[in-house]
Amino acid sequence: MSEPLLEVQDLHTVFSTKEGQVKAVDGVSFELNAGETLGIVGESGCGKSMTALSIMRLQRPGRIVGGKVMFKGQDLTRVSEYEMREIRGREIAMIFQDPMTSLNPVYRVGWQVGEPTRLHNGWDARKAFSSAVSMLGRVGIPSAASRARDYPHQFSGGMRQRAMIAMGLTTTPHVLIADEPTTALDVTIQAQILDLLRDVNREFGTATILITHNLGVVAGMCQRLIVMYAGKIVEAGPTADVFAHPKHPYTWSLLRSIPRLDAETHEPLKPIEGLPPNLVDLPSGCAFHPRCAFRVEKCSRDVPALLRVGDTQQAACWVTQSGTELKGG
Amino acid sequence: MIDPAAVEVALPRTDVAGTAFRPAQSYWSESWERLRANRVGMAAGGLVLLMVAIAAAAPLLAAYVVHHNPFGIDLYATFSPPSGAHWLGTDEDGRDTLIRLVYGAQVTLTVAFLSVTVSLLVGGTVGLIAGFYGGWLDNVLMRFVDILLSIPAIYLLILLTILQPKIGPVQLSTSDPRSLAVIIAIVSWGGLSRLVRGEVLTIKNRDFMLAARSIGASDLRLVLRHLLPNVLAVMIVAASLNVGAIIITESILDFIGLGIQPPTASWGNMLTNAQTYFYHSVWLVVLPGALIFITVLAMNLFGNALRDAFDPRLKS
Amino acid sequence: MAEVATAKRLTRAWTVNDSLVSVTDLKVWFPVASGVMQRTVGHVHAVDGVDLEIKAGETVGLVGESGCGKSTLGRTIIRLIEPTAGSITFKGDDITHVRGGRQRALRREMAMIFQDPYASLDPRQTVGDIIGEPIDVHRLARGKERQDRIRELLRVVGMNPRYADRYPHEFSGGQRQRIGIARALAVEPTFIVCDEPISALDVSIQAQIINLLENLQSKFKLTYLFIAHDLSVVKHISNRIAVMYLGKMMEVAPAGQLYKTPRHPYTGSLLSAIPIPDPAVELRRERILLKGDVASPVNPPSGCRFRTRCPRAREHCAEEVPPLESFGQEHLAACFYPLEA
Repeated sequence: MSEPLLEVQDLHTVFSTKEGQVKAVDGVSFELNAGETLGIVGESGCGKSMTALSIMRLQRPGRIVGGKVMFKGQDLTRVSEYEMREIRGREIAMIFQDPMTSLNPVYRVGWQVGEPTRLHNGWDARKAFSSAVSMLGRVGIPSAASRARDYPHQFSGGMRQRAMIAMGLTTTPHVLIADEPTTALDVTIQAQILDLLRDVNREFGTATILITHNLGVVAGMCQRLIVMYAGKIVEAGPTADVFAHPKHPYTWSLLRSIPRLDAETHEPLKPIEGLPPNLVDLPSGCAFHPRCAFRVEKCSRDVPALLRVGDTQQAACWVTQSGTELKGG
Repeated sequence: MIDPAAVEVALPRTDVAGTAFRPAQSYWSESWERLRANRVGMAAGGLVLLMVAIAAAAPLLAAYVVHHNPFGIDLYATFSPPSGAHWLGTDEDGRDTLIRLVYGAQVTLTVAFLSVTVSLLVGGTVGLIAGFYGGWLDNVLMRFVDILLSIPAIYLLILLTILQPKIGPVQLSTSDPRSLAVIIAIVSWGGLSRLVRGEVLTIKNRDFMLAARSIGASDLRLVLRHLLPNVLAVMIVAASLNVGAIIITESILDFIGLGIQPPTASWGNMLTNAQTYFYHSVWLVVLPGALIFITVLAMNLFGNALRDAFDPRLKS
Repeated sequence: MAEVATAKRLTRAWTVNDSLVSVTDLKVWFPVASGVMQRTVGHVHAVDGVDLEIKAGETVGLVGESGCGKSTLGRTIIRLIEPTAGSITFKGDDITHVRGGRQRALRREMAMIFQDPYASLDPRQTVGDIIGEPIDVHRLARGKERQDRIRELLRVVGMNPRYADRYPHEFSGGQRQRIGIARALAVEPTFIVCDEPISALDVSIQAQIINLLENLQSKFKLTYLFIAHDLSVVKHISNRIAVMYLGKMMEVAPAGQLYKTPRHPYTGSLLSAIPIPDPAVELRRERILLKGDVASPVNPPSGCRFRTRCPRAREHCAEEVPPLESFGQEHLAACFYPLEA
């Protein structure tokens, strides 16, 4: 068993709002191995984006108040800003959700895609540009040489996202973090981009963290996944196992509430009752318990830890940790 | 795809059987709270309020406190420094400086606030109509505003002063504070209308406007009930920031001899008159100048505080 | 809500399965202005010759990607947008160019639910005012009766009636969407256009709203035009589905049939692109990946609009526009070389 490439240990990130302090990332621990694609799944406010931003030390105005992010023997939460800048873009690259705003409208696309190599590899403008052109070609932009001279507004959403991916890959990073990379795109374009990410993962061997709220995307892309809720990991494990037998009521209920394209009959959906948690005023004990169909008395008192449940999975749930199977009508 | 803010302060605990918690907060009361928390802004606002109060109480102050009137010429006491009889000294005609400053406040502040109000009414209406209806009406109105804004204000003011047109029963002349206010408003409403129109364009395509239309609301209802309350904040902020500019405009007019004419006192004309006496009675220049400066600064600070209060997102 | 309102309605009551809304060769073109003088240099062919029929009591799903015109079609049917050509019939009456009093009466029959729960509620009004506005505009009730109706509507959509005094920003996305639904119901409509009502909501809330919409439909005998880009949801909630691309109708079929035997290549690729939350299924799937991006609605391709991305396109596709042809039971598709059954 080789060393994990990236190891997050008990990470805590907070930020302040008018109503109080929000624990955006509340004790998150996971590993990323070389070459694998890890999915982080959750809804808005669950902390998945903040986790990624914290790894990149881009969490401001939030503050990392605890834990470690071990990467190549260094704790990224403790290195200097200068050292972090060396790592960002060169070793760990990130692509964002909204392709419309993640590219600077006043610079040509090729120039922007070449920026990481100019910064990190010290290449001159010409060399960086030609490498950008070749990378744009590899991510599937037709006539890359001439398109690289275009400005972002001349690119469609899908193409911009490809350009972002190209930009992330020019320095052949070890880790690629993709934060909702296809959420803002049409579904046929989404399929293209996901396909591209799969190819990239195969061809370059880049380990990928894929952050999304779409369980279908995770099912097709990730070997392992973690599910987040209210700043904590509630379930983790191999994708096939988590989908086949989820060990946390949240995951279990979520899977049952999504309409499936290949459903044979029209069964009424079984929604998760209640509202998403108020991050400033979290419920006592397990944050999910007010909405949980399986809760017991202990759930409202004590916060469950993420422990092994079954052979390959982990879940933070008193009920499943005590051996109860999740079943329902 | 919309991504709701990372922190959703949704009502805690679930729906139908839920109990009530903190009282409902309208946008206006929330803004007021934010404003109250801004110390500098509140201090500035308080200062202006104080000046307005003093200006309004001018006759009372003249009679019971200062015991002088602003026109009282006393050639035996010209250029006297601050003393028991004249707390801030006298000017070239022996008139009490303090009471003249108070009456000057009345004049200057009337011009400023009245002008801004008229500007707001005219500019706001034009902006609302142009923005809401669009099309040729928008084009016509905005081209008119463009022309208005390209004429140097000074020429327009001079023209109006010379022509002294009548609007209804009111004769416009620069010597009367109220008509001066209207004249300045005529020249400056253009900028405000552009601002309002811009804000209207941002709002009118929001879904809630379309939703109101879809349930059958008439145009009038859309403009008055939906558009106006959402544009009001911008209008108020722009108006309060304009007050300072107009005080300065009034001073400039006095400087070139077109504004309020002596012996009626305004801060601007006191400043102008005193420039000849700068070397031996410097306080005659400094006092009105300082008041102008302080008031303009205070209104600007207050205006900024208002903007932050109404739209806190702009800050971060 | 069961009480009949006293205000004027358009025509007589309608029975299930009669045609409620009928759209014939509808075109909606938006001018593109350019230059200092804002001259019209071209048109966006948002909706370019669409036929659609919606029967009373059913839910018709309308899907397509950005630029396909589905939102425009929905808004034109409910007459928030003026059609450029073609006709719209509602309960047998031609409403293509209604104005004034008749248009107002129409606003009581048709309502709309919007996508963005954060922009579709006036932030300066209370929830009660927002829901009460349709009641006021159509003078359906006053005073205490009005208050009762507002409270009842809040209850019907699953919210605490005491929330009527609060402001929209105090609620979450899902709750705001419920308020929007309550507003739509306040006019007591027969037909509701749902324009992407759940796209902006969290996944765990989407199911709540879908169920709510289905319950309301059976309780109040509503007819829906459900516009969305998520085919999984549309298939779940719709009786029939219409697929649009660049302003034209590509395929219309009952929901189950559309999934099992799509005829149009675009539908096929759309279906294969949708991720299914099941790793075993996902890994086995055959994807029909399209090349390139959606073409511009200002200058659509000649002949079949889809031909530039279609894996089955041939020369004929550029020469002639394929008409909507029947493929059996209520199944229509516009393609010269359709997919096999």
